[in-house]
This record gives sequence, structure tokens and C-alpha cells, in this order.
Amino acid sequence: MDPSKSQLMQYVPVLMLAVVAVLFSAGTLAASSLLGKRARRSAVKDTAYECGMLPVGEGNTRLSIKFYLVAMLFILFDIEVVFLYPWAVNFKGMIREQPGLIFGSMAGFMVVLFIGYIYALKKGAFDWKQ
Amino acid sequence: MTPVGLQHYLVVSVLLFCLGLLGVLVRRNVLVIYMSLELMLNAANLALTAFSRFNNNLDGQIIVFFIITVAASEVAVGLALIVALYRRRHTTHVEDMTALKN
Amino acid sequence: MQACLFYLFAALTLLCGVLVIANPFTRNPVTSAMFLVLTIVSLAGLFVLLHAFFLAAVQILVYAGAVMVLFLFVIMLLDLKEEERRKIKAGAGVLGLAAAGGIALLMIAVIRQSNAGVGLKPASAEGSTLDLGKRLFTDYALPFELISLVLLVAMIGTVLLSKKDLK
Repeated sequence: MDPSKSQLMQYVPVLMLAVVAVLFSAGTLAASSLLGKRARRSAVKDTAYECGMLPVGEGNTRLSIKFYLVAMLFILFDIEVVFLYPWAVNFKGMIREQPGLIFGSMAGFMVVLFIGYIYALKKGAFDWKQ
Repeated sequence: MTPVGLQHYLVVSVLLFCLGLLGVLVRRNVLVIYMSLELMLNAANLALTAFSRFNNNLDGQIIVFFIITVAASEVAVGLALIVALYRRRHTTHVEDMTALKN
Repeated sequence: MQACLFYLFAALTLLCGVLVIANPFTRNPVTSAMFLVLTIVSLAGLFVLLHAFFLAAVQILVYAGAVMVLFLFVIMLLDLKEEERRKIKAGAGVLGLAAAGGIALLMIAVIRQSNAGVGLKPASAEGSTLDLGKRLFTDYALPFELISLVLLVAMIGTVLLSKKDLK
């Protein structure tokens, strides 16, 4: 078997997991609709039960604004971490031949992003009190 | 069944791109338009990866990597703009955002 | 086997893509976002079939993991109840379908006629993270450094745009 085929074969368990996940969720839904008993339904019966009170307002809550700035900064630092994976894989091989390049490129990358981190910190982007 | 070649991947990429285009043209919610833009970017990524594989050249994959990075930063800034616009106008409907000033 | 998987993932990608832009059952943006996640995951499947293993992982990590979470955050942040009731205009729908369909047919015809990829055999073993990283940190070292500036600008822009509620 050639190496590219065997590399692809490593993903067969992932595929099997996906198939099992889909079958399990579809099977659960199908079984509950096939085996479960139908209850009588009416408009009153379908309202949410709130300890006897009538439910007020929408079911979905709106999130606070401070979560979203953290989420956005998370994406940008997530990208930074993603760039670290190929760097870490290559580090051992390249440190002997081109130590300046492999070290300097990532150092420059990190310094620029660290400036951004300091900026966000100074602006109070991670301040949860407000 | 013919073996899957470059053209198969390119056709999928074209169809996905045109779905994204259709979404941008037809939908009026600015968030869904943004998702359609993501579809178009992903179509470009698929085409580049397919070219990279069938031409035995890794440059395509590296460009896809950069595209994913730029797309993520674009999403962060774009969604910040959408939220800022929503606070001012209280809408995400593009037809209500025609004027530059209030 | 690989051909079957290609058709499965391609069909799943396109089906979920259709459901992102025009779901016949609901106009809720949350549903669109969930189907966009499915589109992205099946695209990652196509990347695996193209032996771009690292890109498949990045696709799921960055797109499905981070970008879509941000989309859902913003959808939850905004009050979109009133938006759902607006209809797609029939005229715009027909014209948009005609335009996008025309472009699709044109591009597919061009691909068919250009004989792109005829006679090209896929590479035997490549797309490993090692080779990708080696290219990234030697030939593409300058774009890599510039990408950090893009990220810095995005970071500053994000903080500035939402500064009003911080200070």
C-alpha cells in the first residue's frame, strides 16, 4: 500500500465515528416517534410550565455585549495558535539548518500579536466589571 | 464510475460559489449575507486545494491557509461593524442601511 | 470508495449550502448558521479526500470552532425577531437565480472546454504538515509576518469599534 493511501486510511475511524453519531441521533429520533405514545395536545397544554405562572416574553435570551468582544479576540488568538502547529512540527528539523529563520519568523509574529494583546488589555477589553 | 478528477472538484467549487453569490443577491439580512460571503470564500479554498493536489504543488494549500486567516480577521471586524450599526440603527436589514448619515 | 465519499461530501456541501441561503422551513439566521457549520464540516471532508489533512483540521478548528461561534454570538446579541418576517422579493429572487445560475453555467462550460486537469495524476504522498510548514517558514516567511500585521489591525479595529461601551 502506498503511503498516501495509508494516510487516508487513518481517517476511517473519524468517518466511522461520524456515521455512528448520525445513526444514533437519527435512530433516537425515529425510535421515540415510533414507540412513544401520542399525548393529546392543545394550545394550553403546549405552553411552557413556569411553576403555574403564565410564561412572559421570548424563550431565547439576549447575551451581554461584553461576551462578544472576548469572543472576537478569541478568534484572532485562535489563528495565532493554528500557526504554531506547523511551526512546532518543523522546529526540530529546521533549527539545525536555519535557526535564525525558524526562530526569528515566529518571534516577529508573536511580538506583533503581543502588541495587540497589550493594546486590548490597556483599553480594558478584558474588564468584566463594566 | 469515472475517477474523480480536478474538474469534479472545480464544478463543486463553482456551484458553491454561485450559491454564495445567490445568497448575497437575494437575502436581505446582513448576517446571512455575511454567511454567504463565507460560502464564496470556502468555494475559492476548495478550488485552490484541488489545484494544489492535482498539480503536485503545495503553494495552493499555503494560500488557502492565508485565506482562512484573513477571513477570520475579516469576520471579527465585520461583525463588530454590524453590531455597531445595529446599536445605531436597530436593524440588520440592508435596505434600511441606505444612508451614510442618519 | 473514494469516489463514493467524494460524491457524498460534495452533495452534502451543496445541499447544506442551499439550506444556508434559502431554507424553506424557517428564516431564522440561527438555522442558517447551523447549516453553514455543516457545509464547513463536509468541506473539511473534501479537504481530507484531497490529502490536505492540515487544512481540514484548520477548517474545523477556525471556521466551525471559532468563526461560527462568533456568528452565533452576534445573532444572539441582536434582537432579530422583526427581521424574520420580511419576505424575499419574488422579482429579486428570480433575477438573482438567473444571474447566479448563468454564471454557474458559464463557468462550468469553461471548465469543461478548458480540459483542466486532463492527464494530471494526483500527487502520491504530500500535503503533510511538515512539508507545508517548511514552505510556510522559508518561501512564505514574509507573507507570514504580514499576516501578523493583519491580525493586529483586526484586533485594534475590533477593540476600537466596541470601545464605546468599554469606557
